Amino acid sequence: MKKSILPFLFLAISLHLSAQKLVSQNTYVHFFSETPIEDIEASLNDGVGIVNAETKDFAFQVNIQSFTFDKALMQEHFNENYMESTAYPKAFYKGKITGEVSWSKPGSYAVQMVGKMTIHGKEQSFTTPAKISISKEGLVVLESNFIVRPEEFDIEIPSLVITKIAKEIEVKVKSTLRAS
Amino acid sequence: MKYPLVLMFILGSLAVWGQDDLLAELDALSPTQSKSFVFATFKGTRIINQQSVELPAEKEGQFVIGHRFGSLNDRPLYNLFGLDVANIRFEYSYSPFPWLNLGAGRSSGAKTYDTFTKVRLVRQSSGTGFNWPVTIAYYTNATIVTTPFSDGQKHFFTDRMAYSHQLLIARKWNETVSFQIAPTLVHFNLVPFAAEANDQWGLSIAGRYKLNRRMALTGETLLRHDPFSRYHNAASVGIDIETGGHVFQFHVTNARSMADPQWMMQTPSVWSKGEIYLGFNITRVFNH
Repeated sequence: MKKSILPFLFLAISLHLSAQKLVSQNTYVHFFSETPIEDIEASLNDGVGIVNAETKDFAFQVNIQSFTFDKALMQEHFNENYMESTAYPKAFYKGKITGEVSWSKPGSYAVQMVGKMTIHGKEQSFTTPAKISISKEGLVVLESNFIVRPEEFDIEIPSLVITKIAKEIEVKVKSTLRAS
Repeated sequence: MKYPLVLMFILGSLAVWGQDDLLAELDALSPTQSKSFVFATFKGTRIINQQSVELPAEKEGQFVIGHRFGSLNDRPLYNLFGLDVANIRFEYSYSPFPWLNLGAGRSSGAKTYDTFTKVRLVRQSSGTGFNWPVTIAYYTNATIVTTPFSDGQKHFFTDRMAYSHQLLIARKWNETVSFQIAPTLVHFNLVPFAAEANDQWGLSIAGRYKLNRRMALTGETLLRHDPFSRYHNAASVGIDIETGGHVFQFHVTNARSMADPQWMMQTPSVWSKGEIYLGFNITRVFNH
């Protein structure tokens, strides 16, 4: 009788491990293009993400058409001319988090996100530093700022507007993750 | 004793297998995109002379300058292909709501003032549930001609007015090709001959073919039913060039007037005789 408890214990542990997935359905992404002529910015807050606390694998995904601009015409150009969001509706970032994180211990952890980013249908190796903050309540917040270069993702910027769109786009991500 | 162990391994391995493709799991998390609306069916709120189903965005104003030069067959070299003379139109419109555009304009030629309204009724979409295969908008325009009458008769002020109505029905087939048809009714308070109908019907047909991300070929014609004598169907071909905040539309047309009743139902020129005109529209959007 006592022995039969053991497998259930294992079962419970393995179920527990599978529940070590942290998910976010309201990841905030903001980008900013700064040139002397024009500043362009847009944001969304319905990005989704999963972090596997055990393996530290991560995956994030945003709908390009969710990016909201101040100017409707900019948004149309962004979707139609640059991101071609009808053909490439989503952008992804997946890979592994490297660096020490104690998920059960509140604190702030500086980590690296190493993986592959897909924008405009083009996949590129991409590594960025990130900060993972774990609150006493167990809330996990992942924040990262990085630079994306449109040309690396085959996003053509015609010479006519080259002075209006920065070669380096600053991106800010803030994702609040909860155990699923 | 053995069975739970086996069960445990199966469950454990299932859990591990489930963690393999996080991206696949994201799709389940992703907000179910119920609907995505088609945008940029046409580059401009006009195709050439014909209004398109596009409206300036909410709380945005749009200024349009249109030019139609002199006839290409009128001593083309001496008049530099008609560039020495021009009909000109100014127009300003504003969208208080995303589905409503109100505007006014003034066209030279018959010195015509006009006010217009465009209301977007439904939008082409894709996704779950019912989807409209087309975008539909209603467009109406009232004009006042201010040149003096030359027939020596006494006239009422209302004789100067005409009203156009169009139901714009457009479909973006894909990223490259868009089509629009528009049943058209123009009511003239005054017609050239007593026997002619005050209500003139027609069908506008227009299309766009995108050459690349910034340029597109456009074409339009308006086929008249039981039309005024002496006049011809308007037909135009053009090219749209987009440069960020501006849209440039260059075209060749037999309709020199830009006021709606005039280009729709009172085009005196014909393509076959070379009575055609170079022209352009420049569109600029303002955020108020």
